[in-house]
Amino acid sequence: MDTFVFSLLNGTVYGLLLFMVSAGLTLVFGMMGVLNFAHASFYMLGAYFAYSLQGLLGFGPAVVTATLLAGAVGVVVERFFLRRVHHHGHAHELLLTFGLSFIIAEAIKLFFGNFPVDYRIPPALDFAAFTLGRQQYPAYRVLMAAVALAMFGTLYLLLTRTRIGIIVRAAIHRPRMAQALGHNVQLVFMGVFGVGAALAGLAGAVAGAFYTTNPNMALEVGVMVFVVVVVGGLGSLGGAMLASLLIGIVTSLAVSVDSSLADLLALVGAQAWAQDIGGLMTLKVSSLAATLPFLLMLLILLVRPSGLMGEKT
Amino acid sequence: MFARSTISTAVPMLALLCGMAQAAPVKIGVLESLSGPQASTGQAYRAAVRYAIDKLNASGGWNGQPVQLMEYDNQGGPTGASDKLKAAAAEGVQIIVQGGSSAIGGQITEDVRKHNLRNPGKEILYINVGAEAAELTGEKCNFHHFRFAANAQVRAKALVQAMKQAKTLGGKVYSINQNYSWGQDMEKAIVDNAAAGGYTVVEKTLHDTNKIQDFAPYVAKISASGADTVMTGNWSNDLLLLMKASKAAGLKVRFGTVFLDQAGNIATAGEQAAGHFVAQTFNAEAAGTEGDRFMADYKARSGHLPVATEPQTVFGLDMVADALKRTKPENGDLNVNALARNLETTKLKTPMGEASMRAADHQVLLPIVVSMVSKDAKYKADDTDLGFKPVKVFTAEEAAAPAQASCKMQRPS
Repeated sequence: MDTFVFSLLNGTVYGLLLFMVSAGLTLVFGMMGVLNFAHASFYMLGAYFAYSLQGLLGFGPAVVTATLLAGAVGVVVERFFLRRVHHHGHAHELLLTFGLSFIIAEAIKLFFGNFPVDYRIPPALDFAAFTLGRQQYPAYRVLMAAVALAMFGTLYLLLTRTRIGIIVRAAIHRPRMAQALGHNVQLVFMGVFGVGAALAGLAGAVAGAFYTTNPNMALEVGVMVFVVVVVGGLGSLGGAMLASLLIGIVTSLAVSVDSSLADLLALVGAQAWAQDIGGLMTLKVSSLAATLPFLLMLLILLVRPSGLMGEKT
Repeated sequence: MFARSTISTAVPMLALLCGMAQAAPVKIGVLESLSGPQASTGQAYRAAVRYAIDKLNASGGWNGQPVQLMEYDNQGGPTGASDKLKAAAAEGVQIIVQGGSSAIGGQITEDVRKHNLRNPGKEILYINVGAEAAELTGEKCNFHHFRFAANAQVRAKALVQAMKQAKTLGGKVYSINQNYSWGQDMEKAIVDNAAAGGYTVVEKTLHDTNKIQDFAPYVAKISASGADTVMTGNWSNDLLLLMKASKAAGLKVRFGTVFLDQAGNIATAGEQAAGHFVAQTFNAEAAGTEGDRFMADYKARSGHLPVATEPQTVFGLDMVADALKRTKPENGDLNVNALARNLETTKLKTPMGEASMRAADHQVLLPIVVSMVSKDAKYKADDTDLGFKPVKVFTAEEAAAPAQASCKMQRPS
């Protein structure tokens, strides 16, 4: 029972972290129709910014500054790069962000080296929130979850309850009409891209200390973030939240399932036969845990190509 | 991104200018992951190979000529390695050096075997300095492959014995490994050593390689199993994240590892790494003054202290150099088969003790040292105050695991 509760908690927190990174990606896609390949790079930039500033400012201020810096980089990318290629169509924008992700990764390697850096949780936050059975639950995970939830709440309220939100949503759905009504759509694009990058940066700054901060972290999280966005529905914030939690919890619970297809076939009395075949039949679910999200994506694409809560295909 | 770069010294240039009368120099090709996510591993191997080749050339090279080092980027995967191996063969490379991954190693050894079957007289030698999968000296073993690294059986055996003697092993061991050839070997080795170590393997887990961000679910599983020690062959992020997650959960277990000494690991793990064990192929503190001398010389020439797999790579290539010296040129050319025969009988005194090549399966027999992460260590890792304190040194004979029966070595007549 303890294990089950822990798995559920672990999955939820990991899901919330995934949401933090994917929120910006899905927002930007919904607005500009651009799948931003460099999005996970902002996650990495956030972690490295916070790591560099930590000694100077202390942990809290470093995280805030890193978030703003990542956002600023996002603004620069939109203003001086994406906007220039915008009229060439989506393919060019896609290629641009793809190239950008390589440049950011190589730049990080140039400045910080090829190896993980020692960005760690400050001792003040390194304690157990509660103990269940033999295991402690780290307070920092609770903090990560709180940050993600606060972020979701703020974004949601901002988009649905404020004038800025109305303009942003208008610019997303009917950019030309919004422009004709006198709104500066270019500015909205830049703002949303910047906020998206800042959110990814915040996630990196917070998670980099808990996991590892290394030049490959963009790659590691990037693939999973795309899965989240596809499963949730491109452009849907709620969908991203739902998909993140789903993926987090499914992966976490799968780890403790030691059964294989052969065990399932035992129900119809074909276990011995399945074990003879071996291969896929005897592969434990637990060893596939990290692959399950991709299976989920495949399933969603087959059954509901627009994603769980997506509007457009 | 450079596909290939050559280290050219003034000497081969001069040789070219002086006329073509002399035979072409022997070419050694490093086929590593020099770009992409695994670049840090590949670049470490390259640094070690450069160091060893410079030393060989400083002592006269081969046949009065310096050996030429070529570098090929396998781009992190077997496909790239296969392509670049063809390029290397076309450019006349006779010795290929690689160590970065067992998956790539498996590809190279197969490609080399096929190439040598199809091109008698133009054989290529594969010097494996780090791919530790058992199959390379087992069912896939071949005459033109030589491994100068340890393997799962050797590492696990040393780790278990040293931890048992240090009374830190406990009776319950949890085995967690990456789900590919190396991780599966390691799991088997951990199970095989259970009787000798006096423990039971409470649970075995194989997980996806380098795909998992969050190890908390695995830690929950380890915690539920009540294990005293976690033994793992994990490397890089999979090792760090596992250790970080278990520390965060307040899990009181000891880690027995194989790759904790990779660059950056101690910096990232920090205090959490203290008290955990690692089976290494080299530890300067255990090697005494010879070790100090090697460390200083390596640093002077490469700009950094050798860590993890760099020393074993240097010693491996030293053995190749030794065999080269004993191979006489035939019409000015190197006969690779003759070199391979000489390699089979090579013995070398390394700073850690004597190492030798076993002819039966081309697995090097080398000393293993088991160390514990501690503040008392002489050499600190990654500019932290922690380092690897030697706990026990095993001579090559003590550490050796028997050759696998599945190896049927085909020697050229």
